Amino acid sequence: MKKQLFRLAAFTSLSLFAWSCNQSDPAPKGDYVQGVFVVNEGNFSQNNGAISFFTREQTTAQVDIFSAANGTALKGGAQGYAASGETGIILVDNMSAGQDKVEIVNSNTFKTIASIGAPDIENPREVVFGINNKAYVSCWGSNADQKFTTGYVAVIDLTTNKITKRVDIASGGPENLVYNNGKLFVGTVSYGGGKTLSIINTSTNAIDKTLLFENAPNPIGIDADEKLWVNDGIKVVKINPDSYNAEATLSIGSDATKMADKFTFSSDRRTVFFVLTYFDAAGEHGATYKFGVSDAQVNVTTPLIKRVFTGLAVDPTQGLLYAGVTPSYAQAGYAVRYRADGSVVDSIKVNVAPTGFFFK
Amino acid sequence: MAQRDSVRLEPVLIKGFVPERFMSGLKIQKVDSTTLNLFRFQNISDVLSLYTPIAFKNYGPGQLNTASFRGTSANHTAVLWNGLNINSPILGQTDFSTIPVAGFDQLSVQYGSAASIVGTDAVGGSILLGSAPSSQPLQFSIGRQQESFNNHQTQLTARYASAINDQWSFSGKTNVYDGRMNNDFPYAERNQYTVLPSTSFQRGLVQDLFFNSKNDHQISAHVWLTRNRLTLTPEDKAGRELTSTEAYRTMLRYNFKDFTFRTSWVRDIIDYAKGDYSQLDHAVTDKFSNRIERDFQFNAFQIKAGGEWAHYRAQVAGYDEASVTENRGDLFLLTRWQATNRTIVSVNLRQAFVTKFDPPFTPSLGAEYFLAQKERYSLKLRGSIGRSYRVPTLNERFWKEMGNPEIRPETGWNKEIGLEQNIVSNLNHTFSASVTAYHNRIKDWTYWNPGKSYHVENLQQVLARGIEVQTGWYHNVNHWKSGSNIGYTFNKSSQEKAYDAYSSDIIGKQLVFVPVHSGNLNAFIQYKTTRLTGQAQAISKRFSTFDNSQFLEGYMLTNLLAEHTFAWDKIKMRLQGQINNLANTFYLNVRNNAMPGRSFALSLILIYDSPQTVK
Repeated sequence: MKKQLFRLAAFTSLSLFAWSCNQSDPAPKGDYVQGVFVVNEGNFSQNNGAISFFTREQTTAQVDIFSAANGTALKGGAQGYAASGETGIILVDNMSAGQDKVEIVNSNTFKTIASIGAPDIENPREVVFGINNKAYVSCWGSNADQKFTTGYVAVIDLTTNKITKRVDIASGGPENLVYNNGKLFVGTVSYGGGKTLSIINTSTNAIDKTLLFENAPNPIGIDADEKLWVNDGIKVVKINPDSYNAEATLSIGSDATKMADKFTFSSDRRTVFFVLTYFDAAGEHGATYKFGVSDAQVNVTTPLIKRVFTGLAVDPTQGLLYAGVTPSYAQAGYAVRYRADGSVVDSIKVNVAPTGFFFK
Repeated sequence: MAQRDSVRLEPVLIKGFVPERFMSGLKIQKVDSTTLNLFRFQNISDVLSLYTPIAFKNYGPGQLNTASFRGTSANHTAVLWNGLNINSPILGQTDFSTIPVAGFDQLSVQYGSAASIVGTDAVGGSILLGSAPSSQPLQFSIGRQQESFNNHQTQLTARYASAINDQWSFSGKTNVYDGRMNNDFPYAERNQYTVLPSTSFQRGLVQDLFFNSKNDHQISAHVWLTRNRLTLTPEDKAGRELTSTEAYRTMLRYNFKDFTFRTSWVRDIIDYAKGDYSQLDHAVTDKFSNRIERDFQFNAFQIKAGGEWAHYRAQVAGYDEASVTENRGDLFLLTRWQATNRTIVSVNLRQAFVTKFDPPFTPSLGAEYFLAQKERYSLKLRGSIGRSYRVPTLNERFWKEMGNPEIRPETGWNKEIGLEQNIVSNLNHTFSASVTAYHNRIKDWTYWNPGKSYHVENLQQVLARGIEVQTGWYHNVNHWKSGSNIGYTFNKSSQEKAYDAYSSDIIGKQLVFVPVHSGNLNAFIQYKTTRLTGQAQAISKRFSTFDNSQFLEGYMLTNLLAEHTFAWDKIKMRLQGQINNLANTFYLNVRNNAMPGRSFALSLILIYDSPQTVK
């Protein structure tokens, strides 16, 4: 009885607290105000990508919140999702030419606000938000010949929900984007042949500088010391984002046939997690590893988790590592949660091919 | 032209193309010529989905369309043209969007596995296409159909028959068809789902020649050339996708009394390109095949013994080797025993031989027993048990990295039991009804395993079981004819075997794109040469993921057709109007794109018959 009273009291005070918060700063309304968004790529030939959602306390997901909110599916593979304030942007990649788009939604309700389709958006890959109501979407363009020469970064003006500029990234297929302090770092896809990291000045939305790498550069992010990390084949390079000088280069083992990807920062941005894979006749193998931003080398002898994943991200709020598992492209995948030491917390069934996470 | 109820179950009278008289115990459905005529300008999948429980996995109008027969996969339906399996050797299946009804004269559908008779691929069932000799001395026909969305088809057919000399006579058919689906839809979306722009152009030539002699020699030659050109998003020059499918099918057949020899050559060409059509992904397969068989009769026993030998040669862009070859052989012994005047028993045996493979020995046992056999009423019990197999496709073995030269043939056991009854009433009513239950377990089901970089493996095991009910009614009095048939199928098809940590999410779940319930209804009423036909098909929801977490909603489609034939002295003219998807039903295809709504078609066929000349 005492316990119950205590619970009741606690609940009441919590509610009061919530209510008072509500009074001072009106809480945003919607079913998806706070929680984890999972980008499920779907099966390319079925155009069945979706965004799943769960709150951090939940262990079951709402598997397709765009459909739930809008009564119609995304109708393509989901390539990415990011949100800033009340605006969310979903990248939709349909298997057929001319059907790709970005869906601009209210990030709290997931109701669609606007949609930008072809020819403005073709084969979208990643989205980041900049400042001054701008968002950036890397696109491969039509890329019909698979030579990755038609890529560009589309600049979306979020006041009009229109593309205001296309910055051509002529070689290699633009892929990962990192925005920092007026600069957009644009990497290229690993199999596109491009080896330059393009840096777009977001006040002019023009390429300011290109940096040449040995392999396709993949910008990871900005660490706690405000340094840019770029993955280059089986190396990672720490770069000063102002002078562009390389300050450290770490090797990820010595086997160049292996592939390192799914890089993600810990919540304190002092550790980097990644997946290292290789293929042989029996299929894909590999594991998940980590290194510190001040480490002198990357330890690839002791994996953090002896598994490979199709997506990896850290929740900045709780610090848990979220890993996407795709058993096949024709069944629901899972989001598996791990602690920073690699011990598993739980796993949540999501939708087909979870490849990305967004935390709010 | 036989005016028959289209679900009447009876042996087909194509002499010798497919030995159907040894299929006792199995269910065979002949689609009659009147029904085929309704679909003369359409594809075979349109007939089959309205008259049989075969489920189609369709990528869009005029696009890839594969069959699931009795809950099996697209690789488990044998398609036979004059007895020859014409499934693509590299894919092991047929794209039914490339088979127009204009390409053949006779169609029957054999349910369940008949591998001991048909050979590989006949796991869920077989579709038998046949050519028929002409009975007219000379007939020309020209037909044109004009449809909504700027789609149209034109056909020219000549049928001829004549005596050559005292001994020999010949008959034949020459047919050319040209279909153009421009798909100029007046809408880009339906219910917010894209209706994907696409065009499908189809062309073909059919040539059949039959030579018969009075002393029992028969020679026939058959040629069927088809070409299909599908373009997705044709307006988008950079992103358009071309799939061109060509087939050259030729056959020569010689029959003398109880002895038959057949030789054939089939070439399949598939080209694919995206954007720039100057660089095509090119795949060519040749199949040279010979078959020899002989019939024996000992009192109540009929026996057919024979063998087949085939040589395959494939040049496929995705293979390691520039050219792969393979030899396959088959020996078979088919028997039919009229045990009593109410009982027929068939025991059939087949052993296939494939280069570097060991296909299983394939026996089957079928029996039919007439519980009642009266002039106006018959009730037949039939049952069959048979082994089936599927020789892996060339892609499954030779595709770069993902193919598996060690893959085993899939094998299964099909068991079925059924009842068929026919009632003829005094008032010119004919009723037929059949019910069939089947159980088909297929082992070593191949799976392109995503856990092993899509390496193909014999991982799964599938159990397909279900019940089919078909009823027919036909009435004929004075100038009036009417009839209807109704079919309902319950099919549960599920994966049974665990092969990785996540396959528990799949076990026991319905296979993708196989509806649990499906049904169809066809009804017509005819006065003299004016006929009104209604068609409906309904299918329950179809799961689109192995774990049944996603699905496409069920739907029902209805069509209405009206035709009138004007007849003059030597000329007949058939005018047919058609409304497809009458209720403007919204439904989705496999790509998650919307299918078109209501559409209209008008066709006109002019037929010239030369007067009967008696020599």
